Amino acid sequence: MKEQDKNNPFKTPEGYFESFTDGLMNRLSEERPSLPESEGFDLPDGYFETLHEKILHKIEAKETKIIPLNSNKKYYYAAASIAAIVLLVFGLNWNTPETLNFDELAEADIESYFESNTYDLSAYEIAEVIPLYELEINDILTNRFNEDNVVDYLDANIDDFNELNLEDYE
Amino acid sequence: MIAEAELVNQLKDSDTQSKAFEVLVNTYKKRLYWHIRSLVLNHDDADDVLQNTFIKVFRNIKGFKGESKLYSWMYRIATNEALSHLKKKSKKQGISDAELQRQLLENLEADVYFEGDEIQLKLQKAIATLPEKQKLVFNMKYFRELKYQEISEILETSVGGLKASYHLATKKIEAYLKDN
Repeated sequence: MKEQDKNNPFKTPEGYFESFTDGLMNRLSEERPSLPESEGFDLPDGYFETLHEKILHKIEAKETKIIPLNSNKKYYYAAASIAAIVLLVFGLNWNTPETLNFDELAEADIESYFESNTYDLSAYEIAEVIPLYELEINDILTNRFNEDNVVDYLDANIDDFNELNLEDYE
Repeated sequence: MIAEAELVNQLKDSDTQSKAFEVLVNTYKKRLYWHIRSLVLNHDDADDVLQNTFIKVFRNIKGFKGESKLYSWMYRIATNEALSHLKKKSKKQGISDAELQRQLLENLEADVYFEGDEIQLKLQKAIATLPEKQKLVFNMKYFRELKYQEISEILETSVGGLKASYHLATKKIEAYLKDN
């Protein structure tokens, strides 16, 4: 579609279309809705005054747990050295067990890792590393679509079937 | 108020760390609390999430490279913490996210730390119907009065997209209040 008719005698101020979207979005987003100004949340008296101390206690409590490990470090080194020697001497004669690789990680473990850990990736960043061409629609959906149902649905809801450009998938 | 870069340096230095951390907590506790509270709704959860946020900040400050502003980095941690707290909560109870929202709103009516009137409660119910992104944008813009540029740095999305989300959110909320 042409953006402007050839014989159109009308003109717009310079840069009008470039700034149109921004202007419109600004106008829309600045409309203040007629809603209550506050949320109505309250909190216990003096909560903020004691917060810093509470956090420090938590940090210290977590760090104290680590101390015994550090004080016994030399024993750990000794134990690790012995274990390494034992492994080296005997391990070579044994059938080395296969190392755990990614495929052997149970799917549930991977899922639970992602569910219980916060990872700083946005949806876009994740999308970048997932090879889309290797994904099937049924990898994403929990309920499989029946093809006939899909066609019936499209038939009933889409005015012009050709608009879907389905020829590639026939 | 101490400059942000200076505060970050002090936080990374073990000699000045503890004093700087106190300054950090005192500077940001209220802003982060209200941001978290608007997502998790009740005080006890907000308190948990806020403490975890500061602990995470404390533990990870050495890795903070200053590519974003300190406050947007902290807001981002707070947002992630709040959202994953809700996810864990619904998973623990074996219920859906929507069901958890319904439960949180129900509890809000009896919450001693909620003094909202009927319309404020209804507003919370309306916000609960929004998709996650719109809910975040609406709370951050409408209640916290953050600038679009600031929200954009926190959520790492474009200002244009945020404006559209906010507009959609307000329209949906208005429609909900009109119909209910």
